[in-house]
Amino acid sequence: MGEGQKLILVADDDKDLVTALSIRLRAAGYGVVGAHDGEEAFAVAQEHRPDLIILDVRMPAGGGFSSIDKIKHSLNTRNIPVIFLTAFDDEEMREEARRLGAAGFFRKPFDDAEFMGAIQSVLSRA
Amino acid sequence: MKAYRVAYLGSDGDAAIALENALKTLNFPFMRETGDPSGVQKAVEFQPDIVLWDIENSMPDETFPLEVLRKAGFERQPLVAVVKSGDVEGAVHSLAGGAVDFIYKPIREDPLPRMLAALNVGQKQLRLEWSNRVIEDTNDQVKGVLGNLADPAYIVSPEYQILWMNRAAEEIFGEGQRGGACHHVFYDRTEPCEVCQKSKGSARWRAMLKNGKSYRFISAVVRNGRGEVEKLAVGTDITPDEEVQKIHKTFISNVSHDLRTPLAAIDQYVNILLEGLAGELTEEQRSYVDVIGRSSFRLHNLVENLIDANKILSGDFKLRMEVVSIQDILDVVVHLLQSQAEDRGLAFQVQVADDLPPVYADKARVAQVVANIAGNSIKFTEQGMMQIRAGFMPRDEGRVIVSVEDTGIGVPKEDLGKIFELFYRVEKDKVYVEEGAGLGLSISREIVRAHGGTLWAESMEGMGSAFHFALPIYTGGQGQGAPAGQ
Repeated sequence: MGEGQKLILVADDDKDLVTALSIRLRAAGYGVVGAHDGEEAFAVAQEHRPDLIILDVRMPAGGGFSSIDKIKHSLNTRNIPVIFLTAFDDEEMREEARRLGAAGFFRKPFDDAEFMGAIQSVLSRA
Repeated sequence: MKAYRVAYLGSDGDAAIALENALKTLNFPFMRETGDPSGVQKAVEFQPDIVLWDIENSMPDETFPLEVLRKAGFERQPLVAVVKSGDVEGAVHSLAGGAVDFIYKPIREDPLPRMLAALNVGQKQLRLEWSNRVIEDTNDQVKGVLGNLADPAYIVSPEYQILWMNRAAEEIFGEGQRGGACHHVFYDRTEPCEVCQKSKGSARWRAMLKNGKSYRFISAVVRNGRGEVEKLAVGTDITPDEEVQKIHKTFISNVSHDLRTPLAAIDQYVNILLEGLAGELTEEQRSYVDVIGRSSFRLHNLVENLIDANKILSGDFKLRMEVVSIQDILDVVVHLLQSQAEDRGLAFQVQVADDLPPVYADKARVAQVVANIAGNSIKFTEQGMMQIRAGFMPRDEGRVIVSVEDTGIGVPKEDLGKIFELFYRVEKDKVYVEEGAGLGLSISREIVRAHGGTLWAESMEGMGSAFHFALPIYTGGQGQGAPAGQ
């Protein structure tokens, strides 16, 4: 990882999507670590302390909501911004994400330019 | 004049003689008998037109024996009480007990006018008694039917007092609840429920009862045999429907999740290929990947439309209402529509009347309606123009109308009534060439309806179509809420 390179954790149980996002985010100049369930996401976040976490809502072993709860309660990771990514279309879910302190909420399939833009803007704020 | 037959039942000799003398001059047949059962029986055989009942036949506290005399055989005769002069209480009790009139004894005046009046009142009373008996019989039959119903039914007074419950209701609320207040017994409330406070007559409502099941109730006003108004309510167990709805909702939510998930991956890999992250593509390869991308986009739209249609058509959607101008709504979609129209070589116009008042609407949803019908117009117009106009509804300044008109192929007359049906597509003569699931117009109509508006279409085949929808203007009135931001 180069000096000043931002690290992004992508956690999604769809491994193909994690791979694809990793390729594209690396191409955009970010460092990427991946996780495929809630527990792994928390563990990887603890270990790498990324600059941004992209979390799927529904994953095995604790979904995105329980992960963000743990992440935001850990001194080690509480200040890391979290962007949610889900294929659910649920207004209550969006509200819940906001309440839990999410920096963004995207529904799959998402508008690519908007998504990349949000990542950039969240990272520039951090 | 008809000779009316008069019977006096009593032991007062003076009264009997006075009556007999008075009636003799009129040639009215008269008989006197005692008030005991054998006397009554004889009087019945005499078939009188009027029966005079001396209240001294009864014990002082006894009520007027209307039922006894009716059963004994005086089924329709008017019964007149003979009361001691000045016994106002006796007269009042007799009238309350069913006597049509009373005469004082000793008899000093001509009794004829009172008797003729009694005949007249007696007729009316008979009719009333008969209709009340019919009501009572009907009510008994209704109760008989409802009594064995598997779902709860009950009758309450206007004072919310439980008068009757069927067995199913007793199983839910327990026996011996008659006389209790319905809102208390049924829902543990101290005040009458809103639905009863609002409507004295028939009503519909849903409630979860103490057995944990959901019911849809309907109520109607009924009259009892005494002419009093009561409310009859009958419930239907809708728990299974609600469970099905819940399963349906979860199913749709999961299916849409699982349909969207792979689309996100497809999009990402299309981007990887197009951005050359997996090596440069040849022109041919690039064009194929483009097709994958476009197909994924179409599939995505289709999935979203299906999910949306499902939500709207099952009533499971909420409008985000705000005070908004028609111009603002059109601004959401006009840009996209204009480029679509220009791609097809069509002239495109938007005209919004000056001073058009705002509407109270869900901006995105109404924009969706415009996009949908205007999108159809563009799709079905080969040449010419397409225009969107907004103005007041003629002769109804309480509504604005938005019209989308084109010079397209039009809708055949026989299809015009059906185009708003779900999954309907006009396919005559293979005219239908574009993709689509036949959902848009059904969705649009439901959205407009949810705003309290109407959507309709007119068309001349081969000449063009016009789709119109009307929405109520914002009046700041009840039910329209406060303007946004307040």
